[in-house]
Order: sequence, then structure tokens, then C-alpha cells
Amino acid sequence: MSTFTIPVGPLHVALEEPMYFKVDVTGETVRSIDMTAGHVHRGIEYLATKRTFFQNITLIERICSLCSNSHPEAYCMALEQIADLTVPERAEYLRVCASEIKRIASHLFNVALMAHLVGFDTLFMHVMQTREIAQDIKETLFGNRMDLGANCIGGVRFDFDAEKLSFLSGQLDRLEPEVDEIAGHYRSNHSLLERTRGIGVLTREQAVACGVVGPVARASGIAYDVRVKAPYAAYDRLDVPLHTRSDGDVWSRAMIRIAEVKAAIDLLRQCVSRLPVGPTAPAERPEVPAGQAIAKCEAPRGELIYYMRTDGSNRPERIKWRVPSFMNWDALRFMLKDAKVADIALIVNSVDPCVSCTER
Amino acid sequence: MTRLPEDLEARLRAAASGEIGFTSSSNAKGVSTAWCELADKADLVPVARLLKEMGARLSTISAFQPQPVESDDDDDEDDDDDGEEEDPPPPTSLGGVVIDGKSYEIAYHFDLDGNTLTLLLFLPVDAGVVDSLTPLFRTADWTEREMMEVYNIRVTGHPNPRRLFIDESVEPAVLERLIPFSTLVNAASTRELWEKILATKGNAA
Repeated sequence: MSTFTIPVGPLHVALEEPMYFKVDVTGETVRSIDMTAGHVHRGIEYLATKRTFFQNITLIERICSLCSNSHPEAYCMALEQIADLTVPERAEYLRVCASEIKRIASHLFNVALMAHLVGFDTLFMHVMQTREIAQDIKETLFGNRMDLGANCIGGVRFDFDAEKLSFLSGQLDRLEPEVDEIAGHYRSNHSLLERTRGIGVLTREQAVACGVVGPVARASGIAYDVRVKAPYAAYDRLDVPLHTRSDGDVWSRAMIRIAEVKAAIDLLRQCVSRLPVGPTAPAERPEVPAGQAIAKCEAPRGELIYYMRTDGSNRPERIKWRVPSFMNWDALRFMLKDAKVADIALIVNSVDPCVSCTER
Repeated sequence: MTRLPEDLEARLRAAASGEIGFTSSSNAKGVSTAWCELADKADLVPVARLLKEMGARLSTISAFQPQPVESDDDDDEDDDDDGEEEDPPPPTSLGGVVIDGKSYEIAYHFDLDGNTLTLLLFLPVDAGVVDSLTPLFRTADWTEREMMEVYNIRVTGHPNPRRLFIDESVEPAVLERLIPFSTLVNAASTRELWEKILATKGNAA
């Protein structure tokens, strides 16, 4: 049977973000793929060198929407290293709170889309309705549903009083049984399992070669999570479980995300019960000397790494970040090989791709 | 206290034929960061091969053009500075590359089980050529392509050296020159804005 090439994208591959795939198919089986990126390249790394350290927090939070908190978090961590700042203990716990709330919302969004892509729209709406609890938490505690504006250099810009903490605990009690119910559907629903198990497999060897990170790596058996391997904020004092699976298929990646939603709820409860008293940010804006630093954090999609070079002025001399999605695209070459054309969108969605992050 | 292998520096020295400058430190949570400057860029591949054997993962690569550090002499107003004093020579890297704001510095960030080792190497502006790590680490593929499109750096031995994000129609080395905003947006918004201003003025007049 002869091979021919079909274009997929750039619009509506899975998310409403542009990535263009050229897919070589024989019949309805994918033989190989090629990717063309760059549709939303905005030159943010250049823009960041033209703004002051403090202005950049606002810019950097807008690189991406679903992991918007992770970017300023890693950015601030890099500057804190260069300026030799110690983040107050209360702020470290509050940073964990902001990160984990964002993780819940991001992971639920991805698994909801998976249900949508297999045509199970009732479940899609159920998960999105549940995710709305996480959105409500963000709106009530931070005043915004996407960009939290939580971080500043040396600490955080927000604080929780007793009323907010009890609101958070109450919402987590509402959220947890819903997530348990959703997890049951993903574990046992026949039509969902038929479409997602054994599909888009990434073996452990391929995962190591591609350098994948986050839930994609953990679903292929790589026990790597920045929160465990290179602890930051308050993660070294919290009980952070590391979930892995060995099948490396679409379903395993979804199950890792659901397990991490449960873990995030638990981490938030640990923070609420142990939140120490004290300041949340330094009293004065810090001076940033010349220097260089590397900072890593675990964004919802995996390891986010920031490299910062300063020259003693009030702007970064060079700033470079590598987002988790940047690594995970390459794995699609393995996942899509010998897949059915009908599964392309499902498999692309399973790496939880973020084009805005990738292209900057 | 370090979580990096004890003999890391010795093994890096053994793998490199030229000189290396090695520093490492650990933070309060025990996470280690190490920096290793290579004097000879030809050492990149042998050192990267060693790191691959040690199970390192190439996280990313950052290229840039470091500016020479300004001297602090200007602060001393009491100096009898008659202005004839010659400027000190610009700083050079370990390998003798002059850091004049045009030469390149490339930082290869490796992850060693949560800790980071960064290899640094310098390239003069007129010989911005470096070996590709993509044959050793697949993860270098996109980031080397990105490096080639934003700087005049040539990576030799890359299996697929085409543009990554920036269209072929755009002149290379976009980070090395100033691109006016009106050029960037093809003057579209500027003209629109100008016509709007003219229309308003016309009405007012």
C-alpha cells in the first residue's frame, strides 16, 4: 500500500494552540511525523532583558496560562539565589499552596480533554465542573482564575488568614470525593479504556532518550519529580509521593495526573495544618548583584528550568528557560509511530502540550 | 555537602584534554549546582560523552553574548583622571576568547539526578562554530536549532539543521541586531495608528 502525507494542524490538534504536523500514513496507520513550530513565537526571552527584574514578573507570568504560576516561581528562585535571599518559611509554604492549586486545575483540564477526545462528553463536562472548584479556590484566594500574581522576589505577594484557610479546607473537602469519583470512571469505564490503553506507547528507553519530564516521564517508569529530586520551597518538609507507572500509554499518563491531583489535595492539607507564622516577603526590594543561577521547579507538565545571568544592573543580562513541553514534543515521534490516524489528537493531548510555553 | 559524585571534578579533568575551571556549591536543601568552564571547545563532545555514561540528562542549552564587566574606576571622583589613561584590556575566558560583547558563551545544562552541572564554553564572534551534541543527546536537537537561528552560531554535525521557530524568510541572528517594532510588525499597526491620528486631526482642524 502506498504512503501519502496528510497535514494535521496547525489549528485544533487537541488544544486550541497551533502546531503543524506532517503525518506520513499508509492506509490509516501513521508511519512517521514531522513537526513545524513557531506560530506563536513572541521573543519573550529578548523582551525580558529589556525590563527590570520586577517588571519581568508580570511578563513572565503571561508566557503560558495553565502553568502561569510556575514561571514566576522559578524566575524568583533564580534571582533569590543570585541575591542570596532566604525566603521566609511561611512564604515557602504559601508558594507550595499556589503551585498545587494550579496543578489541580491544569491536570483536571488535561484529563477532561482526554474524555472529550474519545467522545465521552458527559465525563468531559463532569471533570470540567469539578475543576471549577479549583477555579473558585483561585478566584477567592488570589482574585483571579488563571494568573495568580502570587510570587515576588524573596517571597509571596499574598497571605491566608484564618477565614481563607477554612475556605480552602472546605473546598478541598468538596473536591476530593469528586476526584475519587472521576478516578473511578477513568479506571473502569470500558469505552474509555478501549480507546486509551496500549495507545501512544513510550517505552522507558525512549523516554530516557527523549529526556521527557513530568507525568509523561513518570508514566513511562522514570521516577523523577523536581519536588522530590531537587526540593525547593517547602517540599523538603512535606510528604510528596512520587507516582510512576510502567506502561507509558495514553491511559497511564492520565492516571498519573489523576493521582497527582489527589496528592496535590493532600499537600494543600499538609500546608494548611503546618503553615508557620511569620513574614511572607522581605521588607525591602532586594539589590541583585552580578551573577548566574539555575532554578528548577516542577510545573504541572514537569521540570521547568530557568537560567539567569545578571550583570549588576536592574535587568537580566540573559535569561533562558526550558519548559517541560519543549522536551515532550520529541516523544510524539515514538508515540505516534504505527498509531491510527483517529488517535493522533488523543495522543498529542496525552503529552499535555503547551505551545505558548514551548515557543515563548 | 554535595549530592554530586565525589570524583566529578577529577573525571571531568580526565575527560578534557584542555584546562577546565570547576566550581560547585550546595544550597540549604542539599541541592548541588556545579559549573565547569572548558578552555578548549573540542573538549565538549568527550566531556558530554562522559556525562552520558554517568547517566546525565541534557536539560537545555543557553547561548548568549556576555558583555564585558565594567570597571568600577568611574566611582572615584577624587582621581586625577586626565582621560589619557588607557582602558584596561577586555576580559578573556579561560581559553583566551576575548569577552567583548560580541563573542559567544554557550552553557550546556546537565541534570544529574536533580543536581545541575553546567558546561560553559566560549566562541569568538568570527569563528562561532561548535560541535553538535545531538548525535549523543536527542534532547539537544531543538535547542541547537534554536541557538542557530537566534545567533550567528554554526553547529556542525547536526542531523537536521533547519530553522525551528523563525521562518526562513527572516534574516538570521535575530538576537544580534535591533529590529524596530515597525519592521517587526511590517508597519501594519503603525500606519493604521498614523491614519487614525490624521483623521482625528483632520476633524479637529
